[in-house]
Amino acid sequence: MSTVGIGHFLSVAAILFTIGTLGIFLNRKNVIVILMSIELMLLAVNINLVAFSAFLHDIVGQVFALLVLTVAAAEAAIGLAVLVVYFRNRGSIAVKDINLMKG
Amino acid sequence: MIQAIVFLPLIGALLAAAIALFGAHARNPSGDTVEHDAAHGHGHAATGHAAPTGGDAAVIHAAHDEPDAHDDHGHDHPVEPPAAGSRAAELITTGLLLVSAGLSWLALVDVGFMHHDVRIPLLPWINSGDLQVAWTLRVDTLTAVMLVVVNTVSSLVHLYSIGYMNDDPHRPRFFAYLSLFTFAMLMLVTADNLVQMFFGWEGVGLASYLLIGFWYQKPEANAAAIKAFVVNRVGDFGFLLGIFAIFMLVGSIDFETIFAAAPGLTGKTINFFGWHADALTLTCLFLFMGAMGKSAQFLLHTWLPDAMEGPTPVSALIHAATMVTAGVFMVARLSPLFELAPDAQNVVIFFGATTAFFAATIGLVQNDIKRIVAYSTCSQLGYMFVAMGTGAYSVGMFHLFTHAFFKALLFLGSGSVIHAMHHEQDIRHMGGLKDKIPFTYIVMVIGTLALTGFPLTAGYFSKDAIIEAAFASHHTMAFYGFLMTVIAAGLTSFYSWRLIFKTFHGTPHDQKHYEAAHESPYWMLIPLVVLAAGSILAGFPFKEVFAGHGVGEFFRESLKMNPHIIDEMHHIPVAVAYLPTAMMALGFVVSWMFYIRKPYLPVELANQHQLLYKFLLNKWYFDELYDLIFVRPAKRIGRFLWKAGDGTIIDGLGPDGVSARVLDITRGAVRLQTGYLYHYAFAMLVGVAGLITWFMLGGGGR
Amino acid sequence: MTFDAAGYQLLPVLPELMLTVGGMVLLMIGAYGGPKTTGVVTGLAICLLVATGAAELLLPAGRLVTFGGSFIVDDYARFLKVLALIGSTATLILSRQFLADPSSKIFEYAILVVLASVGMMVLISAGDLIMIYLGLELMSLALYVVAAINRDDAKSNEAGLKYFVLGALSSGLLLYGASLIYGFTGTVNFAGIAAAAQEGNIGLIFGLVFLLAGLCFKVSAVPFHMWTPDVYEGAPTPVTAFFASAPKVAGLAVFTRVVLTAFPSVLGQWQQIVVFVAIASMLLGSFAAIGQKNIKRLMAYSAIGHIGFALVGLAAGTVEGAQGVLVYISIYVAMTLGAFSVILAMKRNGFAVEQISDFSGLSRTNPQLAFFFAMLLFSLAGIPPLAGFFAKFYVFVAAVKAGLFTLAIIGVVASVIGAYYYLTIVKVMYFDEPKPAVDPVRFELRAVLAVAGLFNMLFFVYPAPLVSAATVAAKSLF
Repeated sequence: MSTVGIGHFLSVAAILFTIGTLGIFLNRKNVIVILMSIELMLLAVNINLVAFSAFLHDIVGQVFALLVLTVAAAEAAIGLAVLVVYFRNRGSIAVKDINLMKG
Repeated sequence: MIQAIVFLPLIGALLAAAIALFGAHARNPSGDTVEHDAAHGHGHAATGHAAPTGGDAAVIHAAHDEPDAHDDHGHDHPVEPPAAGSRAAELITTGLLLVSAGLSWLALVDVGFMHHDVRIPLLPWINSGDLQVAWTLRVDTLTAVMLVVVNTVSSLVHLYSIGYMNDDPHRPRFFAYLSLFTFAMLMLVTADNLVQMFFGWEGVGLASYLLIGFWYQKPEANAAAIKAFVVNRVGDFGFLLGIFAIFMLVGSIDFETIFAAAPGLTGKTINFFGWHADALTLTCLFLFMGAMGKSAQFLLHTWLPDAMEGPTPVSALIHAATMVTAGVFMVARLSPLFELAPDAQNVVIFFGATTAFFAATIGLVQNDIKRIVAYSTCSQLGYMFVAMGTGAYSVGMFHLFTHAFFKALLFLGSGSVIHAMHHEQDIRHMGGLKDKIPFTYIVMVIGTLALTGFPLTAGYFSKDAIIEAAFASHHTMAFYGFLMTVIAAGLTSFYSWRLIFKTFHGTPHDQKHYEAAHESPYWMLIPLVVLAAGSILAGFPFKEVFAGHGVGEFFRESLKMNPHIIDEMHHIPVAVAYLPTAMMALGFVVSWMFYIRKPYLPVELANQHQLLYKFLLNKWYFDELYDLIFVRPAKRIGRFLWKAGDGTIIDGLGPDGVSARVLDITRGAVRLQTGYLYHYAFAMLVGVAGLITWFMLGGGGR
Repeated sequence: MTFDAAGYQLLPVLPELMLTVGGMVLLMIGAYGGPKTTGVVTGLAICLLVATGAAELLLPAGRLVTFGGSFIVDDYARFLKVLALIGSTATLILSRQFLADPSSKIFEYAILVVLASVGMMVLISAGDLIMIYLGLELMSLALYVVAAINRDDAKSNEAGLKYFVLGALSSGLLLYGASLIYGFTGTVNFAGIAAAAQEGNIGLIFGLVFLLAGLCFKVSAVPFHMWTPDVYEGAPTPVTAFFASAPKVAGLAVFTRVVLTAFPSVLGQWQQIVVFVAIASMLLGSFAAIGQKNIKRLMAYSAIGHIGFALVGLAAGTVEGAQGVLVYISIYVAMTLGAFSVILAMKRNGFAVEQISDFSGLSRTNPQLAFFFAMLLFSLAGIPPLAGFFAKFYVFVAAVKAGLFTLAIIGVVASVIGAYYYLTIVKVMYFDEPKPAVDPVRFELRAVLAVAGLFNMLFFVYPAPLVSAATVAAKSLF
């Protein structure tokens, strides 16, 4: 009861991941919020990886987590760059305005 | 010899068809080719070149830098350019037919009098289980008689058509059809089994359809062609059922096998929709149904008068002398079956007698010259069936034989009248023509005398023999047959003379046409002469072999006569023997009274008996009745199946329905693609969640 | 864990290294030379891609493994890398027209394609989950940028943004799946996973679902396809051609390698996922395409449908199935490159036209173009004897042999429905009233169209090279 087991870590990660996904499709206002939600999801993944790494006594999980952090940074940079270009063209980053193409 | 008789017309048909095809091909690409031709024609006329000097003509063509020498006859009628090679097609087909006709007479002598029956196997045809069908030419006396009738009339009609169809631009096609018809008819009469006969049967039906619709620009001609085809289909259905029934009973469709097995079939029954019918009776009735269709008997007669939309030579050949007698021939050919089915014979007498009377009554009031003759044909076919029904097959064949001459004569004579009157067919617009076209008048009178049975003409012998046979027969229906045929004899006389009087006597009703009327060319008059001679002479010399004591020896195995009928025919009361002649005279007198002496009488009579007159004028309202009973319900069913069955159900659930559902789904699928990021993300997560749920609930655990 | 020099050779990654270093060099050239070097950079990039392909084929034969089993070069990898490089090369060739436009002198474009190609190659050779992630991100990050490469075009930006957001989401899903798989098997290596995985482990299955969701996104399989139509429509047409070819090859390659080498013991489970995804893709691709008016959007749905057909082969889970997938994706790349070269050729007065109605009467104004396009469309519809028919034939046969009759039947039905919209375009080209003639078609477009078109038309004459190469490649997975 008092010990913190792998299940707790996994639960936290799962909750974080769910919050992240909900943030993506419940948010209708701002694309930046979506980027933050994605970061949340990646962090949930990292918690998972590190927890498993510790649980399994295996270093690979932590290496993976570091790589995820690195790549996530690159991803965020590119995402923000695209967002800036988009904002220059449309003058808005509201999610519901991103609707030129459909069908 | 037999092969030559049968296949020469086919060769002619093929050659004429080839000419028609090439002509059509050559005509289309260049109107100026025809003009060149015409110019050349004049040049030839100037230099006195005739057709036989083809070599010289070719040389001149070459000199004129005209390498593709066309037929020299192209310039005979510069007004409306005929198909190239028209004259060649005419001469080829007619020439071959004349040869064939000559050989037919030789064959009749050889087979009928020398007793040289032949069966010539040609090829195997169908070989399927028990069904063995071979092409075999069977020539016995019955066939030989038909060969003579068919080829003689056909060759004369070919000859006549050269003149009659002179201004038609499609003559090669016409002659190809005529020869094709002749070939099919010959296949029919030389058949050695029922399937071969059916081939010929359908072949003549096809040729009839093509020829009735020959002037396909006329909507009535097309309608008449379709009507003839469809009504014949009803009969053919019966014929087919008859063939099936025979195959079921006997296991073969060869005449020899069938006739040998026939006596063993008496008393057998067929379960026909729960009705245990006598096998032979039922089979014969089915076969007779086919005969009724082809020979335009009562109930299936409606196509024949309409078939008069075709060119007149066609009416003479197909719808008077030959094809319509195919039904009579079929019954005669199958006489060994009919002789064993007295019930069926009664039905034959009933329909024959009814047709004889009924068609004659309609003939009384018709005004179209060809329709009068057409109803007369119908009536005379009824006579033949009465003879068939009584078992006096040779007598029926006798009438078929003589009738071919005088009815062809009447048709061709009518054609001559029509030709003279520039395609006017209504006898109310004629009158007084005997001075303008005396030759036609004379032959028409001869034909009428023969038809009405004037003593010593051909019709006199054959028709009286039928009436005597009907009187002498012991069938239940025989007296009805006798009564009807006697009355019809009077009616025949009346309407035939009415035709003569209204056409040739009295005062002209259409002065313009009357003035322009002219006698026909020799092409047309020669056949008329031949047929007129036949109408007078075809009776007496053949009396003994068809209706006398020479029957047995002449026909031998080809007909199975009622054994007593000939004897009994010669022992009837004298009064009965003179009755038809008396009726004929009475008809003549009444007709003379009506149309020469007191021309106002018929008008008054028509006014007094308005109802009867209308009834007859409208042909007993059969067309209307059929329209009501068959055509309209059929169309209604058709429309129902089309709209509801095909349109709503099949299309609705099939192609249209499927495509509509596809489009519905498409619309839905497209609407899913909203363009909003959160919807897209949602779809992805729903996908993941769905799969997770599927596995969590154990759906995927296997 | 000791450092094992033998396990860390550089030879197997030589082509990737070449491509990476070359890409850097090109970046330097572009960065210092400015936009005027666009043509040179693109040309060099094409040479670089060709050289890489050649280097890949010149590697020692057999199965080469390096970096402790995370990087595998086998026949399968060689086959698909060459195919992906062909796709990238052809895309760059097709892009010359776009890059020649003074308003879009973007030298970065070719470099991004080169970098994306590196990502694809890594992806194809990936031997563990980390490598998948790295390759996938390397490819995707470059693709996010190329999608939005037309900076002044709102549609292009929107395409890039949508692709990025959804791509990041899919990466998250994939990573979450990877972490679960790692946790429940204790390893990220495919061979290790295959050894450790056993049936009934629900955590592993969860991980599998998330992982496959991420991969499905990359190959645009339903229901993870939503980005495809919008990105295809919005991105500049050469970019769309790129999206439709090389990344699909890489995505399908890694998809196939993962399920066949890492999860053979839970075949029953992933098979269900693949069957579901395949059916949904085939049907949605066929139905939704019917409603399209924009040819690029139509090609997007067409791509979705075709991925469904390719997955039919994968669902079989057999050598034949894998071979069918390889043949399918090869022929699909040829067809789609040919089709996009026609779409790129559709310009009137210098402006690209991309509505289906713009094709009306093309047979009369440009009969050659219309003929080739018609042949490609017939092939896409799967009409014999064109290549597209054989592609479908192989996957359906594999599915039937594996007992997946329902799947095969639905596939055939879907391909019948799908034929409708392809034939509609043919009808528009051949029977509708002609519109004004299109501009003269550039040489490189004609060259690509001719090669792709002839390959499609003549494949049935001599299918052996491709089919036998695909067989060898498929066998190396088992």
